[in-house]
Amino acid sequence: MASDGTTIASGEWHPPGSSRSVPASLVERAGHLVVDGESGGELAGGNLHSIEISSRVGRIPRRVTFPDGSLFETADNDAVDRFLTGKGRASEGAIHRLERFHPRLIAFVAAAILLGALIYRSALPLLVEVAIAVTPPAVPQIMSASALETMDRTLLDKSKLDEAKRNRIVEGFRRVASQSARGEAGYTLHFRGGGALGPNAFALPDGTLILTDELVELAGEDTEMILGVLAHEIGDVAHKHSLRQIYRAAGITALLMLVAGDIGSGAEDMLVQGGGLLALSYSRSAEAEADRHSVELMMKAGFDPAAIARFFELLETKLDDKGGTSIFSTHPSTPERRKAILDWIGHERK
Amino acid sequence: MTMAESLPAQNAGERSFGRAAEGDIQRLSFTGSGREYFGIWIVNILLTIITLGIYSAWAKVRRNRYFYGNTILLGRGFEYHASGGQILIGRLIVFAYLVLYNIMLTFVPLVGIGLGVLMLFFVPWLVARGLRFSARVTSYRNVRFDFVGGAGGAFLAFIIGPVLAALTLGILAPLASRWSYRYVGNNLRYGQKPFSTDPPLGRLYRTWVAPAAVLVLGMLIGGFFVFLGVALVNAVAEGAELSSQALQGFTGLLLVLGYLLLFAIFGLAALIYRAGVRNVAWSATSFDGRHRLLSDLSRLRYTWIAVSNLIVTLVTLGLMRPWAAVRMARYVNEHTGVRFEGDVGELLSQIAQEGSAVGAEFMDIEGFDFGF
Repeated sequence: MASDGTTIASGEWHPPGSSRSVPASLVERAGHLVVDGESGGELAGGNLHSIEISSRVGRIPRRVTFPDGSLFETADNDAVDRFLTGKGRASEGAIHRLERFHPRLIAFVAAAILLGALIYRSALPLLVEVAIAVTPPAVPQIMSASALETMDRTLLDKSKLDEAKRNRIVEGFRRVASQSARGEAGYTLHFRGGGALGPNAFALPDGTLILTDELVELAGEDTEMILGVLAHEIGDVAHKHSLRQIYRAAGITALLMLVAGDIGSGAEDMLVQGGGLLALSYSRSAEAEADRHSVELMMKAGFDPAAIARFFELLETKLDDKGGTSIFSTHPSTPERRKAILDWIGHERK
Repeated sequence: MTMAESLPAQNAGERSFGRAAEGDIQRLSFTGSGREYFGIWIVNILLTIITLGIYSAWAKVRRNRYFYGNTILLGRGFEYHASGGQILIGRLIVFAYLVLYNIMLTFVPLVGIGLGVLMLFFVPWLVARGLRFSARVTSYRNVRFDFVGGAGGAFLAFIIGPVLAALTLGILAPLASRWSYRYVGNNLRYGQKPFSTDPPLGRLYRTWVAPAAVLVLGMLIGGFFVFLGVALVNAVAEGAELSSQALQGFTGLLLVLGYLLLFAIFGLAALIYRAGVRNVAWSATSFDGRHRLLSDLSRLRYTWIAVSNLIVTLVTLGLMRPWAAVRMARYVNEHTGVRFEGDVGELLSQIAQEGSAVGAEFMDIEGFDFGF
């Protein structure tokens, strides 16, 4: 045994590129790190700068790689750490020291949850706004064209409304649309048979509005009511609700992929799906925003701003809708919305 | 000069290889602990958030080093050598490509579609490169693995196979599995010595029966419940006792439940299938033409561990994920082994590395991880 120098740790030594290993010990001698075999004799060595010492992860063996490509491996992590600390290289083990099982980890959990929530609450909306700002107008046009195509093929039928009624609605709609920020040219109204969708109206992001015969029927002679609903849909388009929702869903998925790290593939799938449910809560606030928009537009166009509230009243009586809000509903419950609209009208008229 | 080595065997410190408890099968073991991994895991997450995702490459390295390093065969662990920088570059390239692709798709749809087709064309090549990277950054006893598969084999195994399996509603899934296992197994090298595998189709089909039955049975039960739900909705609607809003909520609830059921059935079948196929394929694999690999997972137990892991992870908001990951690694390792022919000590002291396999720069392509 070479006895000069200080022994750091014992382990196994491999010649370069070989699976053969011999018991050996790591020794510091005359400013060099060397590996001594059991029967004495240096197997490898070099000065500290030319030697690569792997960083510590848990209790897995430490690897010391020498310039000649040979490898010394030891399970004595603590000894290697002590040696490095003595050489003023303690900072290399900083990450491992953070990872050690310690009450401090509770603070890490709290910090991770807090920062995650912070990103979700503030960074995500910001990112969505940036994405909206850089989206070229071609995108909503392509999206809408394909969406209308798809719906026409699957859900919607041809409209069976009589000409007179249709013209009344279109005329009113032009008055309302001309008050909007995008002007009359920004919107086109399509009449369709609702099929499975029943009484409904919806807007596509490029300003294409679709109104079903069933809704017109439900409103009866009250054309203003229909205009109120259409004004609400214009609000949806003006505030870019559908684009925002798509970007939000994409953002949530991206955050999960980027930040979550190792949570298991099953849990990852479930979270991504759950992100869709989270988006619904956003769509409720969007509906309220569109309701307010409807009130403003109707006022400007010289119609009764409460028309949309009448529509909700009608929904309540005709369909006996007194239900509260549930997680699966995209729209706020109707009694709530009516009240909010009437409050807003009062607020606007002040 | 050869050195007779003392490799600690895993059972009762036996030093003679050969006549051990189960013939001469050397099983893998896993020496990591949930407690220890918890620290690594939470620090990974925290630093990834703080660095806006950049640390995720280094997080992956530390995670893999932990799991590889604690995977023990004959008293020695595996080692993962990739550097965070390498992985970050790979991720950035993929990320840049996706951003470019999306921008192109919006501005110049034709070019975007072209890029998409190009992507499809490139995927097999990326898979092959990714597998090669993963193999080359893995070592055991100072000798690295290597992978020599090309893009053609990857195209058959990872594009044609899955598409065929999907188109035939899973009936040809065993064929696809056979292709992918053959592609990986026959192109893997350790030192200069090849692995070879040829899982017999008959056995793959035998292991396919159970998950197929689960799927069919699940669908029947699911279909029955859907039918019941629709009948219920109709009955309620007829009665008109409930408001449309409540009815909508109820229908939504049914939809979500049905979706969950579907997710559960497919998940169960996939888990059972995966474990069974792994057993067949690994047990039909040999190293250097002599040493047989072995996998004897209990399909039921494997599925149970995976399912309960998911439930525990979700219920504890992810906090028990480290425990779950370690639990699964331990189970899989303990049911994986090698049956060595001849003197193991001698064998393991003779393997030398091909110099060419190391040192060059390789990209890591995310999502095509290849663990042992």
